[in-house]
Amino acid sequence: MTQPKTGLIRWWGLGVFLVLVAGLALLWLLVVDGLVKAKIEEEGTAAVGAKVELEAADLTLFPTGLTLTRLQVTNPDEPMTNSVEIARLTMNLDGLQLLGRKVIIDEMQVDGVQFGTARSTSGAIDDRARGGTPGTSQDDSTFTLPPLEVPNVQRILEQEDLETLKLIRAIQTDIQREREVWKQRLETLPGKAEFAKYQKRIEGLKNSTKGGIGGILGGVDELNTIKKDIEQDLANLKMARKEFGEKVALLNQRFVQIQTAPQRDVQRLKEKYSLSPKGLANLGQTLLGKHIGAKLKEAAGWYDMLEPYLEGMEAGHGSTSEKAGPTRGEGQDIHFQEHEPLPEFLIRLAKISLLLDIGELRGTIENITPDPATLGRPLTYAFAGEQLKGLQGVTIEGVLDHRDSAHPTDTMKFRANRYRVRPVALSTQPDWPVTVENGFADVTVNAELRGQAITATGNTELSSLQVSAGKPDDANPLTKALSGAVSDISTLSVQADVTGTLQQYDVQIRSELDRVLKDAAGKMVKNLAASFGKDLQSAISARVAEPLKSLTGSFSGLDSIGGDLTSRLGKEDNLLNGLLKQGLPQKGLPKGLPDTLPGGFKLPF
Amino acid sequence: MLRLIARLLRVLNSETNPGQISLGFCFAMVAGLTPLVGLHNLVVLLLILILRVNLSAFLLGLVVFSGMAYLLDPVFHWNGVQILTAPALEGLWTSLYNSTLWRFARFNNTIVMGSVVFSLAFFVPLYFLSNGLILRYREHVLAWIEKTRLMQFFKASKVYHLYQSLPHFGGGG
Repeated sequence: MTQPKTGLIRWWGLGVFLVLVAGLALLWLLVVDGLVKAKIEEEGTAAVGAKVELEAADLTLFPTGLTLTRLQVTNPDEPMTNSVEIARLTMNLDGLQLLGRKVIIDEMQVDGVQFGTARSTSGAIDDRARGGTPGTSQDDSTFTLPPLEVPNVQRILEQEDLETLKLIRAIQTDIQREREVWKQRLETLPGKAEFAKYQKRIEGLKNSTKGGIGGILGGVDELNTIKKDIEQDLANLKMARKEFGEKVALLNQRFVQIQTAPQRDVQRLKEKYSLSPKGLANLGQTLLGKHIGAKLKEAAGWYDMLEPYLEGMEAGHGSTSEKAGPTRGEGQDIHFQEHEPLPEFLIRLAKISLLLDIGELRGTIENITPDPATLGRPLTYAFAGEQLKGLQGVTIEGVLDHRDSAHPTDTMKFRANRYRVRPVALSTQPDWPVTVENGFADVTVNAELRGQAITATGNTELSSLQVSAGKPDDANPLTKALSGAVSDISTLSVQADVTGTLQQYDVQIRSELDRVLKDAAGKMVKNLAASFGKDLQSAISARVAEPLKSLTGSFSGLDSIGGDLTSRLGKEDNLLNGLLKQGLPQKGLPKGLPDTLPGGFKLPF
Repeated sequence: MLRLIARLLRVLNSETNPGQISLGFCFAMVAGLTPLVGLHNLVVLLLILILRVNLSAFLLGLVVFSGMAYLLDPVFHWNGVQILTAPALEGLWTSLYNSTLWRFARFNNTIVMGSVVFSLAFFVPLYFLSNGLILRYREHVLAWIEKTRLMQFFKASKVYHLYQSLPHFGGGG
């Protein structure tokens, strides 16, 4: 049995500890580059949804820094293409902050950034569906050119249903119906048979043999009865004549309206089919608007792609503790107030070199962080390039201010000088193709996005323009005139105002193109429109002439009914007046009796 | 594992100071219950190497307590939340939070804080409990076991030969 060693300290343990720590540090240094590479590829692939590959990662401790070589980010929609490829990425890390578990990159140098480079192997990881990416979305703009042909009047009248004819058909139906109704009504009103009956009753009264007071009073009673009956009949006839008059008045009113209906038809069809000077005024918007709209859609696509990261910026880390439940074995980090608050991740300055088709753009991005509220400074960016391919110079600068997550504001200023315009089709309409073949453009754009509301103004000065328009064998005088005017344009100023949201925006374009087109073809368009209107007037008048004549005939049928009613009233009036005056029983009447009938009755006619 | 158990039995049966064995268990509890990769465990490693602690007891204890740690995770998390959000301690935590060394130690993590406090709280009780049990084992159980037929049978087994072949390890130095 050996005696147990006594004493609290065993000094050789310190040596073992140092050897162990050194061994672990060495092991870490040997494998850390591979670990960093694997971590970036794993996290990047998960975030992008396609392979993110890195050729090499090199972590240095003194000074603390990381260099990444050939970072490739696959385009998830085109696995054989990289969205972005970065030749070299070098960053200086704040070592002390890194110990405090904060990634603070004081300066990052990003060289050889290229977009859309080809891959040697597919970068797809799965076949899940994804949305469109910027620049690949379909142009679904609904811009269409106004009609540039003089319309054919006969073809229009074959296609169109004239309002005049519809009105004539409707009133004729109504006249026919009224005629039938009044024919039946006349049969129920007092006529010849009733007159004969009254005459017989009065004759009977005249031939009465009774004398004396009794006979006279009996005669007066009978006379009053006949008088009341006559009054009733007269009232019915007058009521009927009044109603009939009203119906006829209404029909007459409609007839008057029909007289002006052809003019309304002419006006409506002129507006529908004629090329108006107003249409020419919008031609500039039509020709240029879809191209500006397409650029906006592209910009909106890029913004959509960035939006999840910008939303991350808005979420920030302002809370004191994390609300989500802990992952098993990992727990939650509770955060406390810092004396000098810094975000968990920050790139103070990134110097970037973009290798584009047009050449190299150099620029900087400052304050890249998902938590700008803590940092207290917005992200700013500025890029510039000179003597580029097809472009003398370009500058892009702006601010993404998401410090107040409720009111984020992004601004962008873009300026391009002497941009060589490549052939671009403004109109692909077969009747009137327009293509800008060549030219230079100075472009200035100022855009601001407040929340979802976008406000942008753009100004483009085009010079040394060469525009081809129209077809060589064009026989249409209007498109010929427009083609001549457009082809003569060598300089052009275009202003565009964009308002709305990134998803639903309105583009208003002002340019000299409108004035040029108006000057060139405005008078011609007016003359053509006037000529078209005249032809339309004649054709419509000819088409409605016969139905109008027929309508006038239909009214004559109503006139006979009105005449019958008037005649009955007149006849009855005269007849009954005469009968009452002649048929009073005078014989045996007491002296002093008034000539008027009892009760002060007077005939109302 | 068999080798480790054999070593433990040898240590228990040897004349190694019970305090050294108990200390091994106690440090194993700290390292096993708390997240393994952490600044505090570097301190534990230094202590078990520099102090006369029985390493066999530490290694066996580490296996046992690491397994227990997963079961006690919810307790540690709850414990950590209570400690880190205690209003009375907010000033202390805030000042530590502003220290790079303490941030590196991840003191503000609920599992780290909860498990470290838990294991430190049970450090001394476990030491005395373990010490007492070892002494009792040696006084009463060992002599009785030596006489049992099972032990006689065991002594004839390969395990015993393995046990016998092991050098004295971890106890002294």
